[in-house]
Amino acid sequence: MSPILTLDGVRFGYDPAKPVLRDISFSVRPGEVVAVVGRNGAGKSTLLRLLNGLLRPDAGTVGIAGRDAGKLKVSEIAAHIGTVFQAPEQQIFNATVRSEIAFGPAQQGLSPEEQALRLDEAVARTGLGEVLDTHPLDLDSAMRRFVAVASVIACRPDLMLFDEAQRGLDATRRLLLGGIIAEEKAAGRAIVLVCHDMDFVAAHADRVLGLAEGRLAVDAPVQEFFADAAATRAVSVEQPGIVELAQALGQPVALSAPELVAALEPRLKGGA
Amino acid sequence: MALIDVDHLSFAYDATPVLRDVSMSVEAGEKLAILGGNGSGKSTLAQWIAGWLPRGTFAASEGGVTVEGRPWAELDAATRAGSVQFVGQVPMQQLSGFAFTVLDEIAFGPGNLQLPEPEIRVRVAAAVETCNLGHLLERDPFSLSGGEQQRQSIAAALAMQPRALVLDEPTGNFDPESRDALLAQMEKLPAELAIVWCDVTLGAAMAVASRFVLLDEGRIAYDGDAAGLLAHPRTAQIFGLPAVAEAALLWRAAGVWPEGVPISADPARVAAVLRPMLEEVA
Repeated sequence: MSPILTLDGVRFGYDPAKPVLRDISFSVRPGEVVAVVGRNGAGKSTLLRLLNGLLRPDAGTVGIAGRDAGKLKVSEIAAHIGTVFQAPEQQIFNATVRSEIAFGPAQQGLSPEEQALRLDEAVARTGLGEVLDTHPLDLDSAMRRFVAVASVIACRPDLMLFDEAQRGLDATRRLLLGGIIAEEKAAGRAIVLVCHDMDFVAAHADRVLGLAEGRLAVDAPVQEFFADAAATRAVSVEQPGIVELAQALGQPVALSAPELVAALEPRLKGGA
Repeated sequence: MALIDVDHLSFAYDATPVLRDVSMSVEAGEKLAILGGNGSGKSTLAQWIAGWLPRGTFAASEGGVTVEGRPWAELDAATRAGSVQFVGQVPMQQLSGFAFTVLDEIAFGPGNLQLPEPEIRVRVAAAVETCNLGHLLERDPFSLSGGEQQRQSIAAALAMQPRALVLDEPTGNFDPESRDALLAQMEKLPAELAIVWCDVTLGAAMAVASRFVLLDEGRIAYDGDAAGLLAHPRTAQIFGLPAVAEAALLWRAAGVWPEGVPISADPARVAAVLRPMLEEVA
């Protein structure tokens, strides 16, 4: 399947003399969940803004669905890419949750029936049914996050960008978000997660892109990335505790507790 | 009598109760975490403990909070400021607005207490040292990074020499390095200072606190040590267990984990318990 997103030799600096990102090349295919990791200031959020057309590269190209993003109109980019920003309050501007979520599908020129369907579906999947008439900014921070998520999934973009969308969520809401990511993946949509939380990356990503000093230092499947202590160090992230435990017990890698327990089963003494 | 007593506190902003019959205490020098899910009432309880509530129309429906036996309302401003300090989720929102440098921002509180100049200098120097802000003293408080702002807010709080410091989700936006730097700084705080660390995840709180209060829909569901918190049935549901503790619980359910050994989230500790049960890899 051809990639939905292709970066080739991308360089960018807010001051072009001081590039924040240089020589970035990778592609993302439909159905892939890709995590972008790296320390504060590594250029993760800048990279997202290049992907969704808010920034234009100084050199190299960003290709969206096979076309140069530099030649696409904002509305054309929006048809392919939806972004959940770090602070939902920065992207929420309607007076009710309902009108906020309905805004995107209305802009896409869909039939009224289709718009209603998209709204109902997005609301059901994010659990916002009881607050449809509430002002989004009267909700707690976790529910505001889901208003932003609902607004994006209602548009059914080919690629979704989540900037620290898991931050500050409790387990129930992390599960809800994780479920949405899995459903979108199953529907063949691609997701790029910018994420500090390595447990979330281990649980939901297929592949890890690691940024260090403005360069793409790592591009590896998630298992391979966490098994390699040098790779995690190179991009200043911690191995998840479960990987540390696995390695302390002589197993190369495990991404979840059940996986580690099952892997060690044959080595238990006395068949306990 | 504890440093802070929360006594049968019930509270609501509107019709929905946020805190329901909450009773707990904070002892002098205690390192305490208040943990709970989104909307559990953590930030509201933190603001009660810090004396930010009640205010205006927001009164308790029942109960209240006392500091060394006296209700907040009876304390004058200087005593309040020297009792409990609060660092909220957005440090930028609690800058004085009167200071053009980090140094002046930290000196603002003690200056308001009209302390003698030498005393202010001593307090500010100690807070700057603890929070590692020496290289930023001439910077504009509004120009700092998120982690620097957090340290500035904590330094400004420490300069008031409070008996307790309340922090609301202090590492929410940090990468591991910034988080570890803050945790290292917490260890440098005076032993007699009580810490109330409010969070929606377990990790950092486990590193800071020795006692844990679990808040669930405005009620206290648990109050005790880390092992009891990890074993509490609501903990896994609210936070998701750290995968390491989840593995330990799976081994306990399978009869592998030795009886009487507390469940832990620390990879080294769990590895030490498991290693004797495993055949070595050839």
